[in-house]
Amino acid sequence: DKNGVEIKKFKRFESYKRDNQFPPKVRDMGIVIDQKNQTIVLPVMGRPVPFHINTIKNASKSDEGEWSFLRVNFLSPGQGVGRKDDQPFEDASAHFVRSLTFRSTDGDRYAEIANQISNLKRESVKKEQEKKDMED
Amino acid sequence: MAAIESFDNIYLDLSRENGKCRFAESGLGWKPAGGGETFTLDQSNIGGAQWSRAARGYEVKVLQRNSGVIQLDGFQQEDYERLSKIFKNWYSANLESKEHSLRGWNWGKAEFGKAEVSFNVQNRPAFEIPYSEISNTNLAGRNEIAVEFAVGDGAKTNGATPGKGKKASAGRDQLVEMRFYIPGTTTRKEAEGGDA
Repeated sequence: DKNGVEIKKFKRFESYKRDNQFPPKVRDMGIVIDQKNQTIVLPVMGRPVPFHINTIKNASKSDEGEWSFLRVNFLSPGQGVGRKDDQPFEDASAHFVRSLTFRSTDGDRYAEIANQISNLKRESVKKEQEKKDMED
Repeated sequence: MAAIESFDNIYLDLSRENGKCRFAESGLGWKPAGGGETFTLDQSNIGGAQWSRAARGYEVKVLQRNSGVIQLDGFQQEDYERLSKIFKNWYSANLESKEHSLRGWNWGKAEFGKAEVSFNVQNRPAFEIPYSEISNTNLAGRNEIAVEFAVGDGAKTNGATPGKGKKASAGRDQLVEMRFYIPGTTTRKEAEGGDA
């Protein structure tokens, strides 16, 4: 608005409208990064589940013996201690998926995926900032 | 309708190998294409069915009367009519078409059904977790619930035998843990693992 009171407002976003918009690779029931739609598709019990980059906090890879783990952390209330109104939520009383952890023996792939998610997140934050600067 | 309706390239409970799925008045069966044990489900144990989009084509989820779920995926979109008739005529069950949320949101409502917990976004399921796949749950922090999945020796399962504790490790990426933030509850146990 013109008076510039609204500083942090939740903006709605959407990954897909129809299920034919999923990348064909979801067939393999693996993690798929969909750059074009700003979405990470994660396999949950055989179903491809989209998570928009705006819901993602970060992703990290760790190793334990022959296994590598990829943990994807999502934004949810009660995380950012000390900067409480940094992150707006549409409905803070909802249930939130806070993290998903996968494992695989292909550690290089998880390093690559974690990297791609970080890049996608960085670009998205940058774009948001640019948009906001334009509006100001 | 023929006495037997048959579908090829169908996966049972996210098996690696596909097989032939057959429906008859007495129940349904699935046999791996490469040979092996046939899985059967008696019609008396078919309590309902859902149709939805899955990773490999379309999925028929059979809700068993004894509270478990069977997932059959790999169907084509045009199979719906045929399957709908099969369930209606032979099992007196409605093949309910379920559209999943594609919004990409991580907030919604976890709802606990008979055989699985469904995470709903704007009243549409984003995903479901059968209780049979959960190996452990614990309160990981204030308002945070950790759900661990049965992945076993994962890489070695080839999925010919259906059943419990295998779905999380079916794909190339095995889901080992999921955490939820549930506001306003601190001690209530949200999900009971164990055999359903």
